[in-house]
Amino acid sequence: MTVIADPSLAADARRERRFFLSLSLPALFIVGLAAILPILWIIRQSFLTTGGEYTVSNYQKVLSSGLTWSALVTTLELSLGTLVACILLGTPLALALASVRPRMANMLMVFVMLPLWTSILVRTYGWLVLLRRDGLINAALTGSGLTAEPLPLVYNFTGTLIGMVHYMLPLFLLPVYAAMRDIDANLIRAAASMGATLRQVVRTVILPLSAGGIFSGSIIVLIYTIGFFITPAVLGGGKVNPLSTRIERTLSTFQDWGSASVLGILLLVVMALIGVMLLAARRLVAMSTVKASHA
Amino acid sequence: MSWLRVSLTAFAISAALPVHAQTVTITTAGGDYGNAMKEAMWGPAAKELGYDIHEETLSDGLAALKMQVTSGSVSTDIIHLGSPEGAQAAAQSLLEPLDYKIIDPKSVPAGAKSDYCYPFDSYGTVMSWSTKTYGENPPKTWAEFWDVAKFPGRRALRANAQDSIEIALLSDGVAPADIYPVLSTPEGLDRAIKRLEAIKPNVSVWWTSGAQSAQLLKDGEADLVITWNGRAETVKKDGGAADYTFKGSVIGTDCLGVPKGAPNKEAAMKLIAAMTQPARVAKLTDFIAYGPVNPAAYEGGLIPQDRLKTLATAPENAGTSVFSKADWWVKNGEAAQKAFDEMMSR
Repeated sequence: MTVIADPSLAADARRERRFFLSLSLPALFIVGLAAILPILWIIRQSFLTTGGEYTVSNYQKVLSSGLTWSALVTTLELSLGTLVACILLGTPLALALASVRPRMANMLMVFVMLPLWTSILVRTYGWLVLLRRDGLINAALTGSGLTAEPLPLVYNFTGTLIGMVHYMLPLFLLPVYAAMRDIDANLIRAAASMGATLRQVVRTVILPLSAGGIFSGSIIVLIYTIGFFITPAVLGGGKVNPLSTRIERTLSTFQDWGSASVLGILLLVVMALIGVMLLAARRLVAMSTVKASHA
Repeated sequence: MSWLRVSLTAFAISAALPVHAQTVTITTAGGDYGNAMKEAMWGPAAKELGYDIHEETLSDGLAALKMQVTSGSVSTDIIHLGSPEGAQAAAQSLLEPLDYKIIDPKSVPAGAKSDYCYPFDSYGTVMSWSTKTYGENPPKTWAEFWDVAKFPGRRALRANAQDSIEIALLSDGVAPADIYPVLSTPEGLDRAIKRLEAIKPNVSVWWTSGAQSAQLLKDGEADLVITWNGRAETVKKDGGAADYTFKGSVIGTDCLGVPKGAPNKEAAMKLIAAMTQPARVAKLTDFIAYGPVNPAAYEGGLIPQDRLKTLATAPENAGTSVFSKADWWVKNGEAAQKAFDEMMSR
């Protein structure tokens, strides 16, 4: 907070703030209409019987069902699996992109972004063609004699994870790349001139300075993947059933909007918990970095 | 604001036109099936009545129906449902009663009659297999389908309790006539679920749409697929290395309903009556092997003799079959599906 002594300047600043706030009103209105209202509606729905009376039985039914918890476990496994794969694949990629010349980086970026411009449905079915039993990958594997039998690459957890990582990788990469590109090259030169090895430079300079980007990327990955539906539905072969498919089943087979709403709220709560946990972790890391730099 | 002007102009034009054709929205399952219905049934019927048809396709009609009726924005006039879903929809008062003054009540056999969802064709849930894997020696019964030692191979089943639990009991030696009495006991349902659980390690895909099951069979992704006979017949006709049998099939019917509060109720009833004329439901079998419910469609050689054996309801095919019982599913569907889902998550 900057303290402004001059009262006329303070009045100016207030007017400016009010003006900016008024500019954001249309956006706030849309967000309120498109996000808050449906959530309120879902909360109300979760307390209604099919007959329209108020009840908590939907909560009892959903929370006491083993199906809910196994779906939650699947959801978390998928999200965390995707996150780990994105960190392992995306961080080195971002590092590579940040270290090449800008022209080259821009060109490579186009290739990274290309999948983002393709519909998720097309991409998911594309993976089906590649991964299925007599698909391209298995044909290459068995044809070259690397494996005797086609590998079960799709209609299971593996296939679902592949599809999800492919979708999330560019979205994870963007903030990480942005953070790494902003690192002052002089810092790396300074570290190198002090005799740091490449590994030490990455560990003590680059990773701490890009931690913010990695955290933002992680939040994006987790928030997106928690609600993923199409990829598990198509590539999971009915065997991978996260909360999203549970919601679909509850709606389509049982027409039980109350229970489906409870599941939706559960998804929201899980998301909020993850968000809080990540923000707390980020603060801890930031604090320890500050301590380390003072030590 | 140009969009507003454009739509206002469009509105003005459409209002100014002296006659504009009656528009009816029909919601079908799409795919080969949806196309077949268009070509044989509602296409010619709409031409005769002078209607404009707006087609929507959905693989989950009942959920969409409930959404439309409950939210009060019904856009579809005719919806295509499985008869158990039709009965369920009627029980939740999501459908208008059928107007049997417009639709001929004699066109439905007494046993299949419904006041809310008009049954027009029938299908069998059948065993199909890859002829590449099994050649001339495929499994012949559901018990053999379950015999993974004698018939190794990847199975594909529908990710739904419907028909699956009936088939599980057939494979366990229950006679077709005893299926629903057995299922109505708690031990019976348990027995069916246990049977499904036994085959689960050999199920490579639990499919969710008919088109997907056909694809699995066609691609050889699975060697043994439980699917609907029309889908299996289409794969076979298209030159896929696949065959199927009606032995032990579960026969169900599909029906047409009018959503409660449909914008063009009267026209919808007229279209249902016209599109299910004997000649038209017989013509449907030109495109997809789903047999008419209307007995008149089997008379006068409307369906060629050699095609009759590809229809689930043909007399020679119906001996070992179970007729799916919509009433049972309305009453016990949720419990059965829950037990099925729990089996899947174990």
